[in-house]
Amino acid sequence: MLPLYLLTSAKGQPILVELKSGETVNGNLVNCDSWMNLTLDNCIKVDPSGEVFLKLKEIYIRGNQIKYLRMSNAVIDQLKEQQMSNNNAGYNNSYDHRNRRGNSRGQGRRYNSGGRGGYRGGRTQQQPVSSHQQHQQQQQPPQQQQQQHNSVAY
Amino acid sequence: MSQSQVQSQSQSQSPSASGSGQIDPISQGIQDLYLESYAFTTSAAIVGSVDRKVFVLLRDGRNLFGILRTFDQYANLVLQDTVERIYLPDNKYSEADRGVFLIRGENVVMLGEIDIDKEDLPLEKWNKTNNFKDAEEYLKNKNNEKIGKEVNISKKMGKIGLTSDFTKTDLY
Repeated sequence: MLPLYLLTSAKGQPILVELKSGETVNGNLVNCDSWMNLTLDNCIKVDPSGEVFLKLKEIYIRGNQIKYLRMSNAVIDQLKEQQMSNNNAGYNNSYDHRNRRGNSRGQGRRYNSGGRGGYRGGRTQQQPVSSHQQHQQQQQPPQQQQQQHNSVAY
Repeated sequence: MSQSQVQSQSQSQSPSASGSGQIDPISQGIQDLYLESYAFTTSAAIVGSVDRKVFVLLRDGRNLFGILRTFDQYANLVLQDTVERIYLPDNKYSEADRGVFLIRGENVVMLGEIDIDKEDLPLEKWNKTNNFKDAEEYLKNKNNEKIGKEVNISKKMGKIGLTSDFTKTDLY
């Protein structure tokens, strides 16, 4: 997770920007880009001495004038949660594939090394050959997905 | 590329291969798995400090202590639970909690990892004062003094045809 990614996820939240000149701007982050250019609304700009306050409806800040940004702790927590839920969703999806595959086959196969399975057909001798081939064809797409998941996880 | 070619290449690149005469064929190249065995010279050098407590000095002279969460190729930094510390005369210092920082990389002078077991040792002989506003005021005055001095020097140098590289934003 890169710093600019954190910034984009802070959209809509109040942040504090200090410029290289020492001016500070408080406001709600509306938008930002990969140069760290920002637009804020409902801002209060404070001059470097900290004595002159200016209320502005909207402000655009060129990224290269920024010294640092401050934001609330919740931004990081929120991003973490979001990432966690994304990961979980990905895991559940692949788990679904595994189940579906098992059901469509009628019997579970525990050992899935992926790639070219050596044992295919060994256990389905009683079935007609043609239906077995159909099974194989149906099976292949989910197995590929399974493989992809494995390569991500390890 | 054949198998043997690949092997010999990984041998010459792996840090573990140098020095030892006999190489275990299984563990060979295992060092390649650890990022820390590579000497990064760009901002990637701080990859080992992620999720550790670090000290950051900014160009405006600020001292920040916080947990480094992420960084990028510009050395933009994200610090969490940041504390700003100002050192005062007569062995005093003051601190203020600052929360989450996203520092633009070009304002960083230096960054160093802190050993949390030893970080308080140097402060044992120092007294913490709670009035951070006064500390900020002191720092501002000190900086203004320095600016005045440097501007005077620049003017004098200018008169005799020399240049000064002082800028008001470099106060560290």
